[in-house]
Amino acid sequence: MPTILQKLAGVATALRQRLRGGDDPNATRIRRRQVLTNKLWKGLPFIRLVLFLVGYLWMLALPSSQFGQRIYIDENALQPAQVHTYWNWNDVHRADRILEDLEQLRDRNATNDEIARYSVGVFEKLGIPARTQRYSFDTLGGAINGTNAYAVMAAPRASGAEAIIISASWLSRTGEGDETLNLRGVAIVLSLAGYLKKYSLWAKDLVFVISDGYLDGMQAFITTYHGLPQANLHTEPLELSSGVVWTAINVDYPGHSFSHLGIFFEGLNGRLPNQDLMNSVGVISRHTGGVPVVVYDDLDPRETPSAPTVVPSWMPEGLKNNGDVQEYAMRAKVISRHVNYQARGAASGVHGLLHQFRIDALTVYAVPATGPHGFYALGKILESSLRTMNNLLERLHASFFFFLLVRPEIFMKIGMYLPSAILVGTSMLFSGLGEWVNAGWLLTSVSLEDEEKSEKARPRSVEKWVSRDRPVLDAVTVMIATHAIGYVFWEAVSRRLAHPAILFLIFAAAPLLVARLPQPTRPGSAPVSAVLKALNLCFTSAVISITAVLNFSLAAALAVFMGIPLTLASPSPRLPSRIGKYALYSILALGWLVFCPEDTGKALWNWEVLRVWFAPFVCVVYVPLVLQSALVCWLPS
Amino acid sequence: MDDPSLLALVAVRVALAFAPVPETFKYDQQLSSPLTAYSRLREGIYLFDHGVDPYSGGSFRHSPLLLSLFSTALPLTRYTSPVLWTAADVLAAWALARIWRLRTGAKYTKRDKQVIALYLFNPYILLPSLALSTSSIENSLTLLSLMFASRGRASASLFVFAILIHISLPSLLLLVPILLLSISRPVSSLTVPHPFAGDPKGALPLLGEFLGYTALLSFASTLVCGNWSWIEKTWGAFITLPDLTPNPGLWWYFFTEMFDHFRPFFLLVFTVHLLIYIAPICIKFQHDMLYAVFLLVGILAVFKPYPTLSDPGLFISMFSLFPETYPYLRHPIVTGLIHLHASLLLPLFNSLWLRQGTGNANFFYASTLVFGMGNGAALLDAVWAGLRVAIGKLDDGYEVVQE
Repeated sequence: MPTILQKLAGVATALRQRLRGGDDPNATRIRRRQVLTNKLWKGLPFIRLVLFLVGYLWMLALPSSQFGQRIYIDENALQPAQVHTYWNWNDVHRADRILEDLEQLRDRNATNDEIARYSVGVFEKLGIPARTQRYSFDTLGGAINGTNAYAVMAAPRASGAEAIIISASWLSRTGEGDETLNLRGVAIVLSLAGYLKKYSLWAKDLVFVISDGYLDGMQAFITTYHGLPQANLHTEPLELSSGVVWTAINVDYPGHSFSHLGIFFEGLNGRLPNQDLMNSVGVISRHTGGVPVVVYDDLDPRETPSAPTVVPSWMPEGLKNNGDVQEYAMRAKVISRHVNYQARGAASGVHGLLHQFRIDALTVYAVPATGPHGFYALGKILESSLRTMNNLLERLHASFFFFLLVRPEIFMKIGMYLPSAILVGTSMLFSGLGEWVNAGWLLTSVSLEDEEKSEKARPRSVEKWVSRDRPVLDAVTVMIATHAIGYVFWEAVSRRLAHPAILFLIFAAAPLLVARLPQPTRPGSAPVSAVLKALNLCFTSAVISITAVLNFSLAAALAVFMGIPLTLASPSPRLPSRIGKYALYSILALGWLVFCPEDTGKALWNWEVLRVWFAPFVCVVYVPLVLQSALVCWLPS
Repeated sequence: MDDPSLLALVAVRVALAFAPVPETFKYDQQLSSPLTAYSRLREGIYLFDHGVDPYSGGSFRHSPLLLSLFSTALPLTRYTSPVLWTAADVLAAWALARIWRLRTGAKYTKRDKQVIALYLFNPYILLPSLALSTSSIENSLTLLSLMFASRGRASASLFVFAILIHISLPSLLLLVPILLLSISRPVSSLTVPHPFAGDPKGALPLLGEFLGYTALLSFASTLVCGNWSWIEKTWGAFITLPDLTPNPGLWWYFFTEMFDHFRPFFLLVFTVHLLIYIAPICIKFQHDMLYAVFLLVGILAVFKPYPTLSDPGLFISMFSLFPETYPYLRHPIVTGLIHLHASLLLPLFNSLWLRQGTGNANFFYASTLVFGMGNGAALLDAVWAGLRVAIGKLDDGYEVVQE
């Protein structure tokens, strides 16, 4: 009589037999693997499509109101808005007096030197050591000259090993430095110096910087401060110095009053400041200053009826008033501005130059309006913010540098936005691996007619994979050669050697020379274009995924510009379509040279003066990668 | 080295040695470990020249052999150092090409240039050499010893190997296969496996000879230093891991995070773990000892206590000795892609953590894990291909399985 145990054992054996197929386990394993590989291979186009779709839809969904979480302060020492502020109308009056002097200087077209000397005079009257710093940048567009004024107030309670920078540039960031003056910003920094001097609670040195120009002055100051040589910068050495700068706040107040405080935070090369600092200033602005906060200077039309509407006008009326649509439009505007700054590696204000030296910095921008706020509210906000920065005993925590701010009080953590670009990269990786398999294996039909010679047996054909050689070395040579062309292109563009249209023609045609490098396809080996496409896709995918950690906006832009186009590249047998495809890819690679001269100029200025690597990156990485795709279309299949 | 194009390769390499590289290169944690760093070597020499025992502090952990060599015969200056390091690389490349010729049995092959170029311009080897990391010297000693062993010149091989052991203790892993290689032939027999051709007992006197050389060099080292403290500071460092400066290997993070009372146990586990690979690999590849050495170099590249990029570099460059295995590599493209990602991630995460300050140690550790995966994948590829090549091309409908 079988016991329960025996029955169970019987069931287990039967189950095992079903799973293993009963015979040799190795054969079963191979069979299972073959089935799996076949399924994967058959499903590959579908997997790629799904990854692309999810990636791109994810990007589109980022502004949705479903995403994001409320901001919070991580570092306990910051204690934002927990202090009583003493800035009062007396100090506002002093700021007004300074403003009058500045306006006089403006009205009589005072030179840079005079303005800087005036600022130094104000500092010295207060008993704070101050100096000027003359500088000049050599650029291809001519020299940029200016004079900074700076003052170092030694910390009364500490050794001065650490410092905070409070700065205002002579030109406001309005219109990205369109010559609007930042008179009130300068005035409040000067009057704040006198006010802050009265308190003995500072544990860090306070460094006041009135930088000339928009970005150039601060670049001259901060690189000299950190002893970083720059070949095209001639500047006087700094006579006063202080310790390691941890945090900085830059004041921009172009109007005569303001309604909201705008926060600008993007730095050079896509660096962001620590989010804790931004959140603290936001909290202080709302609670201590009573001033509402916005990201950048975009006012929400739902709260400020005078602000321009953000929902596009072609939307049907019903959708225009839908809350979710309005929220989406508002967040999309913020994100697109963020991507615009970060992907280009451009600084959204003077603060952006400081991040490279590990200084957490931001610009508070007084959004011009007819009221109700002025020096009084701004002074309180700055005082309280400086007290918060003064509290710091250690560096702000490392996990707070990766974020996507969509509203002043709502942000996304890295895990919520990063996968979108990575998924597109993964899809390209799979496409590349698929191409790699395609290059090495050819599915051919082999006829099996000679086995049975009877009349009944018609020639049957069986599909069979035949392996072939991959000309890897040829493809790698082509890739290296295109990147070398990219480097030459960069040298030509950065020196502005020729008219953009001529450069476009030369460098769009240059890869055709490279196309002659590979030896003619040997019989039995795959065409170079197939291997080139495989390697191109794999390399691009690596570039996108790795850039995503450093500069998400740039990675997302690369994913948009290269994702689908590079995957679609394929050789074609007919000459006209080959020429057409080649031309299209050349335009994708180099079209910006002809169509966006202004952006090109700005990117080159950013490289020349501020050492932003966006322009060389485009020339040496992006352009060659797309040109390789053009070659994939051009080379014979 | 009589071919003009070879001379051109060497000339380019020399030019690269004098190319302006950033000063930070010498302090880069991926290019030199605390045990191979140029700055520490200079400091040790300075202390030694001024009559201070360099081993009394905690920063100098180079072998007394390097100390005596560079403080007397070959002074390190701005001009001599790049020349010396380039010479070490060229010597290593030459040894590699010699091994390749001995393996094929030909006087001159078309691939010679490829083999040399693959060593001289392998970025994993080139960059540490530009950073003047002494790991370049370790690599050239390894290849020299292998070259002598391949030629059957056991004494020379073992003497060079004894020097290598003095500089880098973990290379002891290679002792058994090098002994066996010097009493067998380096020709490729991967396709025709057979039991070990020579008499393994013949290796015993050689082992004695090796021990003699090691004792001699130890005695010389003690004479140089005047005391025994160098043993604890140089060899001891590989076993007790006193300096937890980050490197691209797998040990440092693990021991940074560990409670002190577990340290001895895990140090033992990590060290002994390295040893367990010797016997299986030497038995499985007894027909081709050179391949066994190659695989153990790969093991060292993954699991060494203080690796630099040179160690995986040596493994990758040694791939050029075994072209017969290329068609049988398991997943070469996947391995290549992991390496591509890792070599982009390593410097990026290192600078995010230590320069930009926007990341932390976990970032760099994650990238070293990816790097470890890449090296491990390359190693598995090599093991698979080395065994698989014996079966040869298969007819349709057949598959190979591993029991």
